[in-house]
Amino acid sequence: MSGEAKTSPKGGGFKFKVRGPRDFYGGLALIALAIIAMLASGELPGQHGFAFGPGTAPRMFATLLAVVGALVSLGGLLIDGPKIDPFAIRGPAYVLVAILLFAGMIRGIDLRMIGIPATIPSLGLVLSTFAAFMVSILGSSEFRWVESLIAAVAMTAFCIGLFVYLLQLPFQLWPAF
Amino acid sequence: MTDLLANLALGFSVAAHPYNLGFCLLGALVGTLVGVLPGIGTVATVAMLLPITFGLPPVGALIMLAGIYYGAQYGGSTTSILVNIPGEATSVVTCLDGHQMARQGRAGAALSISAIGSFFAGCVSTVLVAALGAPLTSLALLFGPAEYFSLMLLGLIFAVVLAKGSVLKSVAMVLTGLLLSMVGSDLETGAGRMTFDIAELSDGIGFTNVAMGLFGFAEIIRNLEMSQESREIVQSKIKGLMPTRQDLIDSSGAIARGTILGSILGILPGGGAVVASFAAYTFEKRISKNPERFGRGAIQGVAAPESANNAAAQTSFIPLLTLGIPPNAVMALMVGAMTIHGIVPGPQVMTKQPELFWGMIASMWLGNLMLVIINLPLVGVWVSLLRVPYRLLYPSIIVFCCIGIYSINNSPTDVVIAAIFGLFGYWLVKHDFEPAPLVLAFVLGPLMEENLRRAMLIARGDATVFMTRPISAGLILVALFMLALAMLPMIRKRREEVFVESEN
Repeated sequence: MSGEAKTSPKGGGFKFKVRGPRDFYGGLALIALAIIAMLASGELPGQHGFAFGPGTAPRMFATLLAVVGALVSLGGLLIDGPKIDPFAIRGPAYVLVAILLFAGMIRGIDLRMIGIPATIPSLGLVLSTFAAFMVSILGSSEFRWVESLIAAVAMTAFCIGLFVYLLQLPFQLWPAF
Repeated sequence: MTDLLANLALGFSVAAHPYNLGFCLLGALVGTLVGVLPGIGTVATVAMLLPITFGLPPVGALIMLAGIYYGAQYGGSTTSILVNIPGEATSVVTCLDGHQMARQGRAGAALSISAIGSFFAGCVSTVLVAALGAPLTSLALLFGPAEYFSLMLLGLIFAVVLAKGSVLKSVAMVLTGLLLSMVGSDLETGAGRMTFDIAELSDGIGFTNVAMGLFGFAEIIRNLEMSQESREIVQSKIKGLMPTRQDLIDSSGAIARGTILGSILGILPGGGAVVASFAAYTFEKRISKNPERFGRGAIQGVAAPESANNAAAQTSFIPLLTLGIPPNAVMALMVGAMTIHGIVPGPQVMTKQPELFWGMIASMWLGNLMLVIINLPLVGVWVSLLRVPYRLLYPSIIVFCCIGIYSINNSPTDVVIAAIFGLFGYWLVKHDFEPAPLVLAFVLGPLMEENLRRAMLIARGDATVFMTRPISAGLILVALFMLALAMLPMIRKRREEVFVESEN
């Protein structure tokens, strides 16, 4: 984290150069979030009489967020700041897929609602845990087959032992047909 | 005084119950384990283990969760000293001098001093929690909605001031957290707010999902992109666990000062163990007669932050138990744990469930004792754990989190929401936004809005009520003062200095 002193003086052709891209784009995203919140709470009744309506506080805080976001953004425009670190794709992608896979497999999901003509049946805790472990471990740059399979089996067994036998939580263990 | 003793006696009778002793030991061990392993933070762990406490009796559950928090403070120092990688954010500064000591062959002394310092701090802060409990609880009874709102505002301001990085960006995070907390049904009218007609959102976004996403998944994603630095463990046999007489004399002052500083910073809303350890180290270096020794194996540089983080971890229970307001993210999770068991945190806990309140306090002292006894002999075991490569650790954390989140409501949607917050957290890190103020605001949000609305209704729409009621006005003035202070250029520089110190 240290030593990210801003260099890169390169003179682009732009008249307005974004000096602190982290703050500039971060602020813009916050403004976008505030606008979404305002749109989403726009229809809610506001203040009447002395009482706040359900929409009052969300709109109030969304407005504040937009203002602060704008200030952050403005700061990024005018004050030198570090560049945005490149976002990794591989690691996050595998982790994300693993988590989504778990969510889809544990109870089953109808993929047609997102436009894929297929359904995942309810596969139960054992297979979901194993699959999620294997997919997430693929995201590692030092992946090894044998070691990973052993670890996946061990972890699955540990989780079943803990959650199902020790804690007695109601889980469906195996696929339901 | 006799009251205090009687209460403590009640507490010890509860905590010494074999069942509760077991939970205390389990919490302390898990906490140490988590503290030792880099890459899993305390917040993520407490969030991960929340579902597990479902089936336990409430006292046992809370004793265990508390044990995890202060146990992690002990464990974190072990990794810092032996591997030069902080096991926890709270022991980042311990690396500086602790690892130097280890390289000079004084790992044993460093480990034992940090354990002794932690134990001393733990004892003092346990007494402090017990002593301050009653007066603060009676103070809480004077609080109306306006005061509660102002107090929470103060808490959020503190979180902003004490967070790392830009004040403005922390304010933005607080506002984001407040907004996110408003998703779901309105408390008074039941109207769905910002739910985008998604049925699963009508109950709001679950706190555990947010915490696990931002602190669990996001952290893993971020760790994955760092090259796996080889862990250079100090291999030589750790000999001479006992510190010398000179070591004890050298560090006694630092331990005392660290304890005091940590206790204060722990009570303050928004503070907590991380800030306490930084502050104690900086303070110790500043008052030292030979500051050049810091960074080269000064024993005070180990003693002060380790005492401070343990003291802070424990005193941060004070606002939670007396006022019902969590001062930091871990305490926010404790609120979640209490709610799961049907306990509303606040002044009424002490009067209605004295065995819970005092039992938890007594268990902290017992837990600290256990940690000293089990930790030092077990150093070898903890070190061997450090040899488990991260590539096997992180998939385990992921599946554990997934099962944990799913088991809370049997809801796959919760798992997806946590994944989204994981990506969001990764984005936040890339743009230097701190997730801690967001999480605190997310927990305080509903409480704040409720009290704001109530205060406004009672005052017949008169917003000056926050300034005309003396306690409320005092709290708001302190909040404004803190904010102004943090914005001042001179203080701002000092503030950055404190945080930068840890990174080089």
